[in-house]
Amino acid sequence: MGAWTVLQERQAMLLDPAIRDWVLIPIMIVMVLVGIVRHQVTVLLNGTPKKADLKSARETKALQRGGILRAHGTHLPEHAFEARKTFLSDAFEKGTYEKDPNASSKPKGNVMQDPAYVETMMDGMKKNMMNIIPQTVIMAWINFFFSGFVLIKLPFPLTIRFKSMLQRGIETSDMDVSWVSSLSWYFLNLFGLQSVFTLILGSGHAADAMRDMQAMSTMGMGAAAGPQMGPTGQPADMHKIFLSEKENLDLTEHEWGLENVEMRVLVKYGKLPRSVLVDYKKAKSLGSASSQSASSPSSASAQIAAAASSSPAVTAGKKKGRRQV
Amino acid sequence: MVNAAKLLQDLRASAERKPDVVVRLGKPLIDSGAVMKLDADAWLVYEQVAIAALDVGDDVLAHKCIQALEAKFPGSARVNRLNGMKFEAVGKLTEAAAIYKAILEEDETNVLAAKRQVMLLRAMGLPTDAISALVKYLDINYTDFEGWLQLADLYLEELMYGQAAFCMEEVLMLQSQNHIFHLKYAEILYTQENYQLALKQFCRVIELCKDHVRGLYGIKLCTSRLLKSAPSKDATATSQEDLKAIDLLATERLIAVYSANGAASTKSISTKWIECL
Repeated sequence: MGAWTVLQERQAMLLDPAIRDWVLIPIMIVMVLVGIVRHQVTVLLNGTPKKADLKSARETKALQRGGILRAHGTHLPEHAFEARKTFLSDAFEKGTYEKDPNASSKPKGNVMQDPAYVETMMDGMKKNMMNIIPQTVIMAWINFFFSGFVLIKLPFPLTIRFKSMLQRGIETSDMDVSWVSSLSWYFLNLFGLQSVFTLILGSGHAADAMRDMQAMSTMGMGAAAGPQMGPTGQPADMHKIFLSEKENLDLTEHEWGLENVEMRVLVKYGKLPRSVLVDYKKAKSLGSASSQSASSPSSASAQIAAAASSSPAVTAGKKKGRRQV
Repeated sequence: MVNAAKLLQDLRASAERKPDVVVRLGKPLIDSGAVMKLDADAWLVYEQVAIAALDVGDDVLAHKCIQALEAKFPGSARVNRLNGMKFEAVGKLTEAAAIYKAILEEDETNVLAAKRQVMLLRAMGLPTDAISALVKYLDINYTDFEGWLQLADLYLEELMYGQAAFCMEEVLMLQSQNHIFHLKYAEILYTQENYQLALKQFCRVIELCKDHVRGLYGIKLCTSRLLKSAPSKDATATSQEDLKAIDLLATERLIAVYSANGAASTKSISTKWIECL
């Protein structure tokens, strides 16, 4: 307790009001203004959004189609599901839905000669430049003129862990953590001004530092409009993606959601006890287990047996599919 | 004024088509010029009111809205589509077709224009052309369940039940929680005389929406057919006891629903109908 008051008294520093008027507030104003200018310049540079291509839209939607069938196929009766499954896996294998069905057979040229690819790269570059240049300039300005300044004291105590965040550029070990250095003030503004920008520029503005940071970490990755990129930044081989989706589809077993719907309705209206549903589930799992051991030739149990025995293969195949994607 | 704007926004968000309400709310806003106070939303209101005005046949108001939008967004495909709809509303179908074609030449992925084109073909009385155009559209925009619904309707008009059922299956995958779609699928199946499957789908309707009368009638129809025919050998078919139980349940619910809220005459009619099955 005593030590605390001593520390308090020792650090009863007074800041010159001129620091507030000539450093603290100007840094904030400059950052707001730069953010606004950046927004305007980005709008100028972006120009018209790139027109989507009908064939690439078809390509993505077709992939989605496989996913939807896998996820929501339970709502379909058996025959409908199987028909779709066969159709889609056939189409995926043949590449009916691909933008360029013969792309995989052609030898891969230099990606840098593909204008669409270069354009997306340039777009990413432009955006990154718009982010990096103003931030570097401001940081250099602050470092040059105000390095080592203490600008403001936060009105609440903080633990020592915040020291590296709030006192960047000041190498003292004893100063109370609630004092904020000039460089840290810059960082606080960089991340804290977002709602101010939203207020001034409306939502979806381009002055968003956080979003740019994310964009930087995924630099050069194609946006939704651009051609599909693989993890290495190269355009992905769509045929391979389609093939892995086909594999996923082939391994999906149909499970019909309406198999015991009559029972469920009867339970819902209280005509049957709720336990019937539990019994049904048990009977079903038991049935599949017993039919696996018994080698009965009937089609239904054979199917179930096939399903049961292929289930390890399903998971293995899925993992494989993931890897390929 | 604030309330009207709020209501219009709600209607936009829910995508309900209530042209009379929209025109009633929107007309004073636009005539008095108060709409401009809404800033960016103003243009959405203009578009909304323009379409509603076309729906109720208020061509003057529609024209006014479209003119305002054209002045603000010259050469916009979205505004141009409204122009096409204006032509459609007054029956100048060829002019409308030309506009949609121009929009699509400019941007082949324009979904709105592509959909209008299909409906134009339907309005021209060319259902086969409309079907082929819609099939082409859905091959690209697979996830548009409204497109699938429309295609199902077109097929039903042509009495092509198998194809219509296929479309409804797609709708079910995309929008599985809506009992109306399940009902429609069930009724198509019933028409195809696939009573087993239809019964299950009708049951699904009841499961999703309690005491849905049309679903209950559907169950009654299916069970009465199935009980009259020879019991099926198929293992997946509903057992005779379940059929009887579900038949009893449907009868009970129908009578209960009509006794709770219905005139005595409707009740007696429905009871007679059930007895007739």
